[in-house]
Amino acid sequence: MNYILSKDEMQHLFSRISRRYEVYGAVERDGEVVFERVNDFGIVSQKKSRYAPKEFLIERGENVLATVPQERKAVFGIKSCDLKGFYIMDKQILGKDPFYTARRENTLFVNYVCNEPCNGGFCTTFGGPVLSDFQIQVLKDQEGYHVMVSKEFDHYFRDFRRDESRAFEEITEKFMREMKPLPVEGIESRMKWDSKLWKEFSSKCISCGACNYSCPTCYCFDIYDEGEERKREWDSCILSGFTRTSAGNVRPDLSDRLRQRFYHKFSYYKKAKGEYLCTGCNRCVDDCPVSIDIKEVITHDYLNE
Amino acid sequence: MSVVTVCPYCGTGCQIVIEGSRGQRVSGYSLSPVNHGKLCVKGYSGLTYNFSDDRLRYPLIRSNGEFRRVSWEEALDYASKRLLEIIRKYGADAVAFQSSAKCTNEENYLMQKMARLVGTNNIDHCARSCHSPTVAGLVSTLGAGAATGSIESLGDSKTFFIIGSNTTEQHPIIGAKIIEERDRGKNLIVADPRRTKLADIASIYIQFRPGTDVALLNSMMFVIVNEGLQDSKFIEERTKGFPALSREVEKYDPVLMEAVTGAPSDLVIKAARIIAEERPAAILYAMGITQHIHGTENVQSISNLALLTGNIGKRGSGIFPLRGQNNVQGSSDMGALSEWYPGYVRVEENDVERIEKLWGRKLPRKRGLALSEMFEAAADGKLKAIYLMGENPLVTEASVADVERGLDNLELFIVQDIFMTLTAGKAHVVFPASTSLEKEGTFTNTERRIQKVNKVFDPPGEAKPDWWILKEMGMRICGMRNYSSPEEIFNEIRTVVKNYSGATYQNIYPIGKQWPINENAPEGTEILHATAFPIGRAEFKVIQYRSPAESVDEYFDLIMTTGRNYYHWHSGTMSRRTDILERESPEPYIEINIKDAQRLGIRNGQRVTVKSRHGSMSIKASLTDSIPEGVVFAPFHFEEARVNELVGNELDPVAKIPEFKVVPVRLIP
Amino acid sequence: MTTSMNEYIPRFLDVKRKVQETGDTYTIVLDETSKAEPGQFFMLSVPGAGEAPISVASGTGRELEFTIRSVGKVTSAIRERDRIGVRGPYGNAWPYDKYENILAIAGGIGIPPVRSLIERMIDKGRGEQLEVLYGARTPEDIVYYSLIDSWSSNMRMRLTVDRGNTTWKGNVGFVTSLIGKSESPRNSAVFIIGPPLMMKNAVAEALKSGFREDRIFLSLERRMECGIGVCGHCNIGHYYVCESGPIFPYSSVKQEPELFL
Repeated sequence: MNYILSKDEMQHLFSRISRRYEVYGAVERDGEVVFERVNDFGIVSQKKSRYAPKEFLIERGENVLATVPQERKAVFGIKSCDLKGFYIMDKQILGKDPFYTARRENTLFVNYVCNEPCNGGFCTTFGGPVLSDFQIQVLKDQEGYHVMVSKEFDHYFRDFRRDESRAFEEITEKFMREMKPLPVEGIESRMKWDSKLWKEFSSKCISCGACNYSCPTCYCFDIYDEGEERKREWDSCILSGFTRTSAGNVRPDLSDRLRQRFYHKFSYYKKAKGEYLCTGCNRCVDDCPVSIDIKEVITHDYLNE
Repeated sequence: MSVVTVCPYCGTGCQIVIEGSRGQRVSGYSLSPVNHGKLCVKGYSGLTYNFSDDRLRYPLIRSNGEFRRVSWEEALDYASKRLLEIIRKYGADAVAFQSSAKCTNEENYLMQKMARLVGTNNIDHCARSCHSPTVAGLVSTLGAGAATGSIESLGDSKTFFIIGSNTTEQHPIIGAKIIEERDRGKNLIVADPRRTKLADIASIYIQFRPGTDVALLNSMMFVIVNEGLQDSKFIEERTKGFPALSREVEKYDPVLMEAVTGAPSDLVIKAARIIAEERPAAILYAMGITQHIHGTENVQSISNLALLTGNIGKRGSGIFPLRGQNNVQGSSDMGALSEWYPGYVRVEENDVERIEKLWGRKLPRKRGLALSEMFEAAADGKLKAIYLMGENPLVTEASVADVERGLDNLELFIVQDIFMTLTAGKAHVVFPASTSLEKEGTFTNTERRIQKVNKVFDPPGEAKPDWWILKEMGMRICGMRNYSSPEEIFNEIRTVVKNYSGATYQNIYPIGKQWPINENAPEGTEILHATAFPIGRAEFKVIQYRSPAESVDEYFDLIMTTGRNYYHWHSGTMSRRTDILERESPEPYIEINIKDAQRLGIRNGQRVTVKSRHGSMSIKASLTDSIPEGVVFAPFHFEEARVNELVGNELDPVAKIPEFKVVPVRLIP
Repeated sequence: MTTSMNEYIPRFLDVKRKVQETGDTYTIVLDETSKAEPGQFFMLSVPGAGEAPISVASGTGRELEFTIRSVGKVTSAIRERDRIGVRGPYGNAWPYDKYENILAIAGGIGIPPVRSLIERMIDKGRGEQLEVLYGARTPEDIVYYSLIDSWSSNMRMRLTVDRGNTTWKGNVGFVTSLIGKSESPRNSAVFIIGPPLMMKNAVAEALKSGFREDRIFLSLERRMECGIGVCGHCNIGHYYVCESGPIFPYSSVKQEPELFL
């Protein structure tokens, strides 16, 4: 159901939600947009946050022997590309990891659709910027706040005006014009195991793991014991220890591991779950110290190397 | 809450943002001119040591061989009482203070002030083992011993000459910048005995013999002078000593020098021409230049090369000593060194009077013991007490057996640290300290940028920030003022260290400022020596090539060079308590060329004994072709295979640095 | 699953017996009846050391047993304990129910899940339909030596070592060399487990000897940490070994370049 709200009405909505949820929002701090507890709708930023807030679902470091938390949280201002990542991750880990599952069921994400394509982003390649799976989706323009609401949360909107406008369609059209989707269709068959691309990337990559940490669809983690706790931490498949066993390492070279990352994203996950493990947010490129660009994996001419 | 602070690992000084509650998420601060939001794996995954169960939580005193927990009052009173007793009995020079390049400027300032108020210049720290030749060398040639540009300014360089630095592993974000610039078509010349990642993408890679740096650099200068490629205008207007230099380098024809350095002459000639002609050229160097018995001379040779080609003072050119620790630039600026007062005032100079006025006391004027000399003095009974903060010399110093003998002979050993390190295990009194994420202060990175360090977490148990502990000790042993905050200490630093005078806690946040920062340069100074050198005209130094302290012979037939790897940090007290980093590099190893291994009958992963003239160790071999024949490499991160046991105790006469980079060894399968 | 259940929390079982098998290999017998099918694995843990994925060594319905080689922190710590943390069973089983005849080929430390298969099939009265080829590196590395006699009277078993010693009188040679001489019907299911190179050669030999490609099954080993398909470490192609394996039909993984690494 679509509604249109004024700023005051958004504040009312915010208060309603606050009664049931602990509310977080994207706010500006020291020049960056980060997620913090908020109690005022007005300070939530429209800008793209510094990072994908996946720690609302998988904390960067936590004890897996602890009680599974049941707090209800709401997050305002998450971007569509970041939220879409969670829906894609759901296909692999929802229902299996108790912490992810509990948080996913108890968190309300209110995503803010971008008004402009961001620098380097390619969300249109993956169906963005308007999501087809969402909870409460917001698009702000001169008329006010256009809101797309899923059935589950419709009851929060009982006294708001219906929206008959084409705001969401128009923003999609604008994005399709200004951010031409990349030819991702069939990439899983086009990619080549022996491509020069992997060695090219590995000659520059400094193994920092930024791509994994910043990615809204990367969920891999390392488990280790520390005292009485069994901790898990975000891991990076770029690192050699990721696949090392006492018998050896199936991916001994950095180029093997970089290839694995891209194969997992564009081939394996597609085959297993029917969707690419990427949302076009460009965060991996923004945070890569040597600017390795994932878009190249899609556009590379594998045939005529 | 998100807190912007500075990474505690290397001298790059990346700014990080830590989200203090939701699992401690770490990202790079996107507005930082140092790292622009990027981090290396240590920044992302390397901070969990903060929460290790091993953290020291309570003050400890050793009695009857066992540590027992005591209150702060008891520990501070006991340590200070014993120190005062020793000073009264043996004199101020019988005690020594070891500061920490990991601690803040405020803390280093207090430590050295304490030493000097007590009456001794026996104050030193690990900078001695890393860039002390840089300070000595560049102060003598240019008047200032620090990087002459900024990391950002490297974007304007046309050519990079990297010698003795494995940049992508030790200063990864700076290494990444070089990779990006190389991608943009800039020239990259790498000189290193090991084929590093940058060597693989270099325009010219010169593989040369460890310890022959002066011969290599002089042979480059031979080419430049011979072909008239020097910057004559710059030389005439801003330097002195050129004629003597040009006469010296005439003896270093690269074709003849190839026998000494192993560097192919055609590459040396090409490289020299590029540095002289494709300007601005930046020269980056690290331990490969400094950790030699001629470290100071190596640095002076680098300075010669930069001056000869006019590659100083313009954006994109310059000399970039890549400082190792997160605050080794700052700790040096603060004068935690036995021959320098804060602000690089030599202990013997009259300028000390100014500091005497500010501190209200007469101060010692005789050069004190360098770190490398302290342990010998302790073994000889001349040094009776050491108060050490944030260092682990039993793993990181050369001639480890001597270090151990020295520490065992002390009447009083006070250690202030975050973990019970190998060194702390020998202490009589242990003070539990905070990590960098648990206190406020400032760090100064390798580009002279003073950055604000902010508190993210509370320290565990009764651990306290180092500045508090130092202040409490200072009050007890030398009438130090009862500083109430790090800011108060910093404001005092501003009056003593002229280069810091314009910096405040407010104007260095959220991004820092490069010193000199004062009324003439309120926003700091990006490029040094743009119009003048602190000493007027820069000086060329005539440097002759001399061989390393030890040479190979029939028995010790391989040269071991020591160093670091990407995942671990120094003695591993932090990085080895971090899951991901420890997983990446879990055990000690020695790199050996595949052919050498075959000759000796050594398989990959096989345990070998490595012997030098000073010690031996048992370690696993790792075969590789990125190291030349005749050279082996072992990182010093692992307590269980302390490579520094094999390093001799001969020192650079000026900078007093041991020769970590040239150790003749024998490998026995 | 309900969100209040935490799959990561292990149950703790007493170690009833410990048996030293070879130099660095030992077996523990736990106080639980195994509900696992042969081929499945459990995550065994020691608090403070960590967890390790270990295949079940005993047959379904028998006491839960594991044979473990001490290669790291966790596997060394398990040996010292009287109580072990257990999660599982996870993964899938050898499809022994779907085929009449089974030829199982085990190399080295791959023998425990084959022992589980042997016990299960004997318990089900199907011993005659099973042939096992087991290759160890040297006679000192043979595991379950004392059980082999009793097994051999219930099923066909052939033993070999890569390298003999002065007293060894049995077969010497790689286990793959026994495949051609197998008398199992060529439409048997072939179950293969062992080091990657051994598995690669065993598949080639099996095909050469006339066994059907669509009846070859491999037990793959990868680094595993969660056992429940979320940590990502055991990924091969579009599979997670802990979820879709460890047993895979050869035909579904044969195109994977990382298969025999």
